[in-house]
Amino acid sequence: MKSGSNLEKVLSAGHFAVTTEIGSPRGSDISAIKKKAEYVRGRTDAVNVTDCQTAMVRMSSISVATILIQMGIEPVMQMTCRDRNRIAMQSDIFGASALGIRNMLSISGDHQSFGDQKNSKKVFDIDSIQLVGMVKRLRDERKMLGDDKPIEGEIPMFIGAAANPFVPPVEFRALHLKKKIDAGADFIQTQAIYDIKGFRKWMRIVCDMGLDKRCRIMGGLIPLKTVKMAQFLQTKVPGITISDRLINRLKGVPGDKVEDEGMTILCESIEELRSIEGVSGVHIMAIGLEHRVPEITERANLYPRPVLN
Amino acid sequence: MKNSDKTTEVRIRRIINKKKGMIKLSLKVCVHCSICSESCFLYQSSRHDPTYTPSYKAINSIGRLYKKKGRVSEKEYDEIRELIWEKCVLCTRCYCPVGIDIPMLIASARSICREKGIFRTYDTGESKNK
Amino acid sequence: MIKAERKPLEEIYNMVKGYSSILSVGCGGCTSVCLAGGMRETILLNKELSDCFMKEGGKAVFSVVVTERQCNEEYTGDISDLVSECDCMISMACGVGAQLLAETYESKPVFPGLNTMFVGKDLDVGLYQQNCRTCGDCKLGYTGGICPITCCSKSLLNGPCGGTCLDGSCEVSRDIPCAWNKIYERLKAQNRLDNILNIHEPMEWIDKGPGILVQQGYESRYMKEEKK
Repeated sequence: MKSGSNLEKVLSAGHFAVTTEIGSPRGSDISAIKKKAEYVRGRTDAVNVTDCQTAMVRMSSISVATILIQMGIEPVMQMTCRDRNRIAMQSDIFGASALGIRNMLSISGDHQSFGDQKNSKKVFDIDSIQLVGMVKRLRDERKMLGDDKPIEGEIPMFIGAAANPFVPPVEFRALHLKKKIDAGADFIQTQAIYDIKGFRKWMRIVCDMGLDKRCRIMGGLIPLKTVKMAQFLQTKVPGITISDRLINRLKGVPGDKVEDEGMTILCESIEELRSIEGVSGVHIMAIGLEHRVPEITERANLYPRPVLN
Repeated sequence: MKNSDKTTEVRIRRIINKKKGMIKLSLKVCVHCSICSESCFLYQSSRHDPTYTPSYKAINSIGRLYKKKGRVSEKEYDEIRELIWEKCVLCTRCYCPVGIDIPMLIASARSICREKGIFRTYDTGESKNK
Repeated sequence: MIKAERKPLEEIYNMVKGYSSILSVGCGGCTSVCLAGGMRETILLNKELSDCFMKEGGKAVFSVVVTERQCNEEYTGDISDLVSECDCMISMACGVGAQLLAETYESKPVFPGLNTMFVGKDLDVGLYQQNCRTCGDCKLGYTGGICPITCCSKSLLNGPCGGTCLDGSCEVSRDIPCAWNKIYERLKAQNRLDNILNIHEPMEWIDKGPGILVQQGYESRYMKEEKK
């Protein structure tokens, strides 16, 4: 075991893993995340904690991850390269390990121009691949970046990275994924998948490269809540492909049933993803629909979750 | 009195007076050896056009302006403009064996020309978006 | 070359409104070329400032001079007679020129008239694009001649982020192409994809004090000044 995290155990044992995601509060009030965490308790193998997503100032992922640990829920701490240099990152990783955080996800981070601090200075001292490599070095060699002296203590961290399977040229995305795995990624959570056919095609390339054998790939999913949201994802969010057919399907049901239809689409997608070679789990980003995660896991036969020692 | 208040002629005289010693001495000691041409990359790339020789550019710009106290014809100013802007980028790499500061001479000629309202503009070329 | 743009008139006016004898110092180098701080632009600034003073009921005398290159001591040092007559200066050079001017005439306040934007290429007359961030560790050799530090909105060294749009544009704007898609396409066409398949180590940022460059062959001349 590299980290001994629950997520690592579940994936290593060959179970189809489930993770979900909780956004941090825009302030110090943690009542909302506590409520959301209760919805998903026992329903997923780990819960991602975002790191100021869309470049909005939010409570730090390390704090929220720690709160989840105190609640007995396993977090996946997301860490972006946007806001910290290599000093701050390594410092936070030390702290995260000491606080019991065992999973982390290395991502670039949305550009600062999206958020509420548009004129802030970006950092990107190192990129997400270099971050993966840095954590791996801390974990496996107990050495910091560019320093050969051993660090004090262990960094048992299950290292995740993101992937974006749909943006052409897709073969480039696969080569890029290989680079992340070469750097040391143990698991991958992909961008939200609506185009199952496209994803299947990409996974074919990934499997032909043998990448699924070296890393656990989890397909990302976002339940569609409204037609407007689907249209927003279709046109505004990079890397997401939603067919007009899917949007018409949502339009075809009465307004108050759209969310349910979105749930059904999500459950169908989980079924599809389970059948694709090389897919080891799903990552459900239930934005604003955390309370329906229990229902999803039941309908998709993902409940109960395995309990491993 | 500020430089903007004075007439062009007064301002030009002021520049010439300031540089008088340097200009006079330079013009006197130049032996036209043309060694400076070897160090001018524009001379080299102009297929050895003698008008690119640094000393030529200096003598025919500040030399003329100095001798006539800036009172040269418009045609002459135009020729000077070409010498000191089109044929010199003031890279300051020209070498003179007797130590003449050729760039400073060219710079003085440029200062005088500016007072006459003559200087290089960079937006007179054709736009690509036509 | 260095590209700059004029600061808003109001900002310049607010810096110099307390002075009565103002010398605007243009630059005959890069800022002349990019139409921001040459003779013409400096004269124009003085005219606009003069109008401002008049409107606000203030009074000041304006002078103009253009140094050949404000980043060169020999040229900035050449205007001491004019500097002695003014009580403040506006530099129409890049930040380097403004600093050298301030350093050369330490007792006189120097205010920047321009915002120094970037090192860029000329797309057209008055139209420039940033192309180099002078990072000091050029990566163009393995990125197909496309600078990832400048052209990628996140300055990523190992490939794209997840923000590439389906049409190949950057998440930041549909008008910006994803630098890494371009790098991929160019290297693929040159049969050099292996250049980006290996992981490139973190950048060695040179980010300490005002950097010093000693050109090869000139080391012995400056060795005593160089601390290493």
